Amino acid sequence: MSTAIFSNYSKTLITAAILLAALMFGYSDLLSTVYVGLEPVFMWSETTWFGYIGKNYGGIFAVIQAVHLLSMAVLGGAVIAGDGRVLGIVLRDVPVRTVVDRAHRIFVWALIVVVATGIFMACGVASKIYFLPVYWFKMLSLGAGTLFHFFIRRPLLRHDINQLNPIVVKMVAIASILVWFMVAATGRWIGFSG
Amino acid sequence: MNDSDDTHHSPDQKVKDDQAAALIVAQVFIVFSGIYWFLQIESVRALLELAYG
Repeated sequence: MSTAIFSNYSKTLITAAILLAALMFGYSDLLSTVYVGLEPVFMWSETTWFGYIGKNYGGIFAVIQAVHLLSMAVLGGAVIAGDGRVLGIVLRDVPVRTVVDRAHRIFVWALIVVVATGIFMACGVASKIYFLPVYWFKMLSLGAGTLFHFFIRRPLLRHDINQLNPIVVKMVAIASILVWFMVAATGRWIGFSG
Repeated sequence: MNDSDDTHHSPDQKVKDDQAAALIVAQVFIVFSGIYWFLQIESVRALLELAYG
């Protein structure tokens, strides 16, 4: 019986276990151990070429930041188009599959650019962001949003949407919008901090 | 392949599994976002009250 449940709902059980593990990690001493252990990595990243350029060449930092913000806007647009269509708010005259698939392609490229430019920018201000709680919330939401997109939302929307429970589909779309809103909002917050 | 395997890996079962996993994560994200932004807005409101009465 239990083997059948595990076999039938393996993904659900693994997902629940990961969420539980994340919750336990958040409330354990391991979190502060990891946090302290990461400090030398952040301090080192300021001494790399990226860190040096980011700190000493404001013009280059500003250009990379502009690309970061533009790609974030593209990513947000892809999320709003894809999830907005799933919710039945935008592009209602285009099939869901078409919008979701095209938005996904744009999303992937935008995410690659966001992460690449984000690493460069983080190196330039590593000693500042390390001490900002909002930076860690951004990383948490970015990681959660990326995993959610590729391992939960994408596999779900590969199925025939008419076969799926509409409430679940809408909740997934709302959760997706919320998590990427959090990435964008906390990112802007970092800009206003310190 | 036996009957049991057919049942476990049927497309319908895969849909159910994907939906259940999606439901759990979506619920967690929605509840977490609600609590997080409520606390942030409350904290800003309290700061503004301290500053301007």
